[in-house]
Amino acid sequence: MFLLFLTGCNAPSKPASEVNYDLNAPPTSGGTMINAMTGEPSGLISMIAGESASSAISSNIFNHLLKYDKNLELEGDLAESWQISADQKTIRFKLKPNLKWADNHPLTSADVLFTWQAVIDEKTASPYASDFQLVKKAETPDALSFVVTYDQAYAPALDSWAGLQILPKHLLEGQDLHTSAFAQKPIGSNFYQLDKWTHGEHLKLSRNPNSALGQAKIDYLITRIIPDNSAQFLELMADNIDLMGLDPIKFSRIIPARPELQKKLALYKELGNSYTYMGFNLKHKPFDDVRVRHAINYAIDKQEIIDGVYLGLGINIASPYKPGTRWSNPDLVPYPYDPDKARALLKEAGFTDSNGDGILERDGKTFSFEIITNQNKEREKSAVLIQRRLKEVGIDVRIRAIEWASFISRFIKTGDFDVVILGWGLGLDPDQYNIWHSSQQAPGQFNFIGYNNSTVDQLLEQGRLELDANKRQRIYHTFARILLEDSPIIYLSAGYGLTAIHKRVKGIDNPAPPAGIGHNSEEWYIPQSLRRNEITNH
Amino acid sequence: MLKYLIKRVLWMIPMLIGISLISFSIMHLAPGDITNNESAFNPKASEESRQKLREMYNLDKPVIVQYGLWLKRMATLDFGKSFASHQKPVFWQTTDKDGNVTKGMIQQALPITLMINLLGLSITLLLAIPLGIIAARKYQAWQDRSITLFNFIGFSIPGFWLSLLLMYWLGVVNNWFPISGLHSLNYDTMDTWDKIKDSFSHLFLPVVIPSITGLAGITLFVKNGMLEVLQQDYITTARAKGLNEGKVVYRHALRNALLPLITIIGLSIPGLIGGSVIAETIFAIPGMGKLFYDAVLMRDFPVVMGILTIGSALTLIGNLLADVAYAWADPRVRRGVAR
Repeated sequence: MFLLFLTGCNAPSKPASEVNYDLNAPPTSGGTMINAMTGEPSGLISMIAGESASSAISSNIFNHLLKYDKNLELEGDLAESWQISADQKTIRFKLKPNLKWADNHPLTSADVLFTWQAVIDEKTASPYASDFQLVKKAETPDALSFVVTYDQAYAPALDSWAGLQILPKHLLEGQDLHTSAFAQKPIGSNFYQLDKWTHGEHLKLSRNPNSALGQAKIDYLITRIIPDNSAQFLELMADNIDLMGLDPIKFSRIIPARPELQKKLALYKELGNSYTYMGFNLKHKPFDDVRVRHAINYAIDKQEIIDGVYLGLGINIASPYKPGTRWSNPDLVPYPYDPDKARALLKEAGFTDSNGDGILERDGKTFSFEIITNQNKEREKSAVLIQRRLKEVGIDVRIRAIEWASFISRFIKTGDFDVVILGWGLGLDPDQYNIWHSSQQAPGQFNFIGYNNSTVDQLLEQGRLELDANKRQRIYHTFARILLEDSPIIYLSAGYGLTAIHKRVKGIDNPAPPAGIGHNSEEWYIPQSLRRNEITNH
Repeated sequence: MLKYLIKRVLWMIPMLIGISLISFSIMHLAPGDITNNESAFNPKASEESRQKLREMYNLDKPVIVQYGLWLKRMATLDFGKSFASHQKPVFWQTTDKDGNVTKGMIQQALPITLMINLLGLSITLLLAIPLGIIAARKYQAWQDRSITLFNFIGFSIPGFWLSLLLMYWLGVVNNWFPISGLHSLNYDTMDTWDKIKDSFSHLFLPVVIPSITGLAGITLFVKNGMLEVLQQDYITTARAKGLNEGKVVYRHALRNALLPLITIIGLSIPGLIGGSVIAETIFAIPGMGKLFYDAVLMRDFPVVMGILTIGSALTLIGNLLADVAYAWADPRVRRGVAR
């Protein structure tokens, strides 16, 4: 019976092993690039959908006013230029001339105004509305000008306009963004437009002939929905997808060990804008004592976590900013691994092992706490390494991994935890008011560890008002220094984002620039001779 | 008989309400709601916007009020709209004023799962019944022992592991079968014959693997039923009157031995609509299991409730059908019901 099935299928015409994917060829248009995602977007209006799967697709379809270039400096996307008034409260954007939507309708400042109105609308529950609610007044003096005025200078404003996808007024006016069918068949202005969305299977984007910023090279982008990472990897091995994100094991062990994979896959690593940390509940004893926090920081071997958990594909950090960017303070050094210093600091804080069981006590109470984390393998493994190192200095640690929704609502929101291991994924603006300002401690807000430092509060407030990049840089360098000294959290590592892309895709910057390899994806191309022949473009 | 049927059907209504009340409460006992999803931990996302969402979906009201609202909607067979998936209808498609049709989530997932499970169940039965008969007839001979061994190997192998190995062997090493998904990317441009071949090859692994791993239970049922029946007096009588062995086994014994299978098939009706999360995840099949699992993780209450309600209704109907079929197949039961 088995054989009967097998004869029904034919083998590929040319074995993939004979093709040389390393050849150099000049850029040409055409071809199809296939990638895979684990989750399906709920809709393609990303201000409503809010999840990363949605913005990953919709960013190919829609434009912003501004965007970041390869060195993470702002440049115009739909905007040709922008001016900030002398009092720093008004920003005047000038759009590029002759912009069009994919359906040929002109794209004007009215669309930008409409998008702003939509995001702050009472009826819209966009998770990202708060930046735009600070705009006091938005005007469109003419079809190419869009002017926003804030009550007071707001430094993250420009970044916020680099994050808001501009939607077409003529298609969405009067519709409920939460239910509109537009989210399933959007019309945008960027390099691609939605060709077909087969739910639960794949999304196919095709080149937008009216693209606002010129033409992309690759004709079709197909994103397949494959929830399981192993299945994705099998598809990559079988040459059915061109691109996928990898975990450290696949990146540094599996692919390098297989010549047939090395022949066709190129590996890229780029530093993400995120880090993993261990955070203390500063309202709980003994974590209110800075000596205890320092002691634990010295007791943990971060390099061991990076080597053991991330197979070396991460770096040790000392400030909450992406290393190498202007906001990261280069003078700061991470706490070294120094268990003797940790023991001395704990002793100074009053902890002694009076009953000789290897665990420290203070005032008759043993030093014992629980680390909670969500069900994330890397965080769980980090917790185990930490548990062992803390045991060596006499601290008893228990570990608990909890499903995400319960984790947030039962533990983080209520403040019912001692220590968490979590990560922050951050935007490109240095403003971290929401995470560190002492006013942000209500349930559901992000300073859930209860950090309270009046100097930091002041710096964060100043940083929001200062639009001059150099002055701002000094503010955030000071902020990061105080944060490191206070040690309310312990930076564990900043991991690399790891990607494998089939070598048939050319034109990718390697090594990755600060903005990551995706910054010029419209210039990627696939030489004719390397295209998949089994996929017919129609 | 008719009175019995009507009584059974009417009983289902309070049962369903009870089941839904319990499911609703259990679901709300789990901490968190839709606002605790991925964007809940984006520092750009404000608590006010989450509160707005909660109000939009009535999540700020007491659970009992929410249940009342749900029950009110259900009275008109309105399953509501998903929280998580751009407010798609949970059950069946809707058309907006511009004529845009939005398909229902269960409407999209159910046919896929149903097809896979029906195919899987048919293959299981097709293999299990002959295997069970052989094992019973050659009881404790090498045939019986090798069938038992085969079954238990199949039963013990983790399905996901076997799936991944076969995906690697049949999809990567030898390019014989597609690895995951339901259709090839160029499915729309194929002619009918190629479409059938394409669907067939995509369904092969997801259907065959669970059938093999599920074979053990039903084979044993058939075997034991058969063994029991073969020791009955009437079989001895049949043999004594000189019937050949084939007639004894297939005419007289098999029918009776298969009676317990009716119950099993009846009980598997709800299982037919609930797909396997693991298999659907590995093979990238957008079916019911994945839909339900994701909905639970996202706390997408209308979807969870929609699937649970349909599932429990089908369980009740399945039980009823099994009882009726039993009565139809077995005169002794029939007389008992009629009384």
